[in-house]
Amino acid sequence: MIQLFHMFKNFGPNVALQDISLRVRKGDFVFVTGPSGAGKTTLLRLVFGAEKPTSGNILINGINLNRIRRQQLDLLRRKVGFVFQDFKLLTGRTIFENVALALEVAGERPSYIRKKTHLALRSVGLAKKELSYPLQLSGGEQQRVAIARAIVNDPLVLLADEPTGNLDPALTKDIMLLFRTIHMKGTTVLVATHSRELLEETAQKQIILNHGRLVGEK
Amino acid sequence: MRLRLVPYFIRQAFQNVRENRLVHIVGISTMVISLLIFGTFLLLFYNLDTWIHGWGNTLSMSIYLEEGIDSGTEKKLVQLIRDLPGAKIDEMVSKKQAYNNLLRALGKDSVVLQGLPRNPLPASIEVVFKPLNGERPDPGPIKEKLEKLRGVEEVQYSEEWLNRFEGLMKVVRLAGFIIGGLLSLGVLFIVTNTIKLTIYSRQEEIEIMKLVGATDWFVKIPFLIEGSFQGVLSGLVSLLALYSGYAFLAAKKADILGLAILDFVFVPLPYVLTIFLVSAGLGLVGSFIALGRFFNL
Repeated sequence: MIQLFHMFKNFGPNVALQDISLRVRKGDFVFVTGPSGAGKTTLLRLVFGAEKPTSGNILINGINLNRIRRQQLDLLRRKVGFVFQDFKLLTGRTIFENVALALEVAGERPSYIRKKTHLALRSVGLAKKELSYPLQLSGGEQQRVAIARAIVNDPLVLLADEPTGNLDPALTKDIMLLFRTIHMKGTTVLVATHSRELLEETAQKQIILNHGRLVGEK
Repeated sequence: MRLRLVPYFIRQAFQNVRENRLVHIVGISTMVISLLIFGTFLLLFYNLDTWIHGWGNTLSMSIYLEEGIDSGTEKKLVQLIRDLPGAKIDEMVSKKQAYNNLLRALGKDSVVLQGLPRNPLPASIEVVFKPLNGERPDPGPIKEKLEKLRGVEEVQYSEEWLNRFEGLMKVVRLAGFIIGGLLSLGVLFIVTNTIKLTIYSRQEEIEIMKLVGATDWFVKIPFLIEGSFQGVLSGLVSLLALYSGYAFLAAKKADILGLAILDFVFVPLPYVLTIFLVSAGLGLVGSFIALGRFFNL
């Protein structure tokens, strides 16, 4: 599903990632871990196509991100959901509108958008708060809205960058449960985290980064 | 593009306008003023051009008579002139009348005429030639023919000042192009900046849309509609204001420039359409320029 071949990424003189080669199979649940500044976010952004590698190749579902055109990348992003640490919700729109946005940009029919958005919000337990605005919700609820938006168009891959970074332990458990549920439905999930507690409780595969290098896999 | 997205794009564009109301009001007002300046210039230019062409199509001649011409010769001459194609005698000016006209024209300076032993001014016949088949008659052969007639001293016609006016119109036309060009650039600058401001205000939304897979065009189209709307509205308002101004002046018999005696008409439909389309086009092009550098997510 996701393949990286000798991938390097520099930001000017700073090396963010060096010589990363790895493979994530379809249906895997993988944690990308390591201390702050290890390159976790950069790795996820490269897989999402938000950054281009300095050298090396990234293949998503067999498509080489170095060789696709801009428009194809936009279409690919509809199949790769991304959950951001800071949620990236539009505060002027209701949570229903925030989730529906991912389907609107894909040009789906209004009736389909209504149905799918409602289902996505129900799956994260927010069906009754459809008309609320993000700032009327707690941090955990806002993160769930972000997850609902990432899964509403049934992505092949779900990427999450420190999704529990701003949440307390109880909410962290809820969110992780949600990711496991999504994974059980067949979605490949990549979660970047530096939370030791989270990793100690899991038996999932882990990719460990340090100073931009792949230092181990569990 | 899927047709079912059209209502979405329009909704989005008008939401942009609503949310950035003040920016749009300022932008549209400035555009209206610029278009109004250009429209006023066009209106005046069009009328001036029409008047000059109107005069240009009519040939006026002054036929100066010989000193001491007898009434028989004069009658014959008048008949010969009347028989010329398109000719109409406007006025017969006697020697005395010519003198009085000059006295009136000189006003206080008329004392210079007092020292003259006799009236040196000739009698004349003022003739107007109407256009033949829509064109002004060629003055050269007419002048030649008239000067050969008995009793005619000299013939003069209005060629020279017409040429001067046409020269002036060329300068006015050039000035029009320059003013139009500069105002168009100004309008383009206004639209570009208005749309840039609305893009800035929605930058976060654009970023999120791109992150969830929106194509560039999906994001751009509402802004293009917004720019075109600004152009269309400015065009309509400026034309309405121009027409109101015109109607007001026309009702007041258009005393400005001392042209009250002349017909003052509104610019014809092709000009109106040009102003409108240029305005809408500038709105669209302005938003294109503004969008150019916002898509590197």
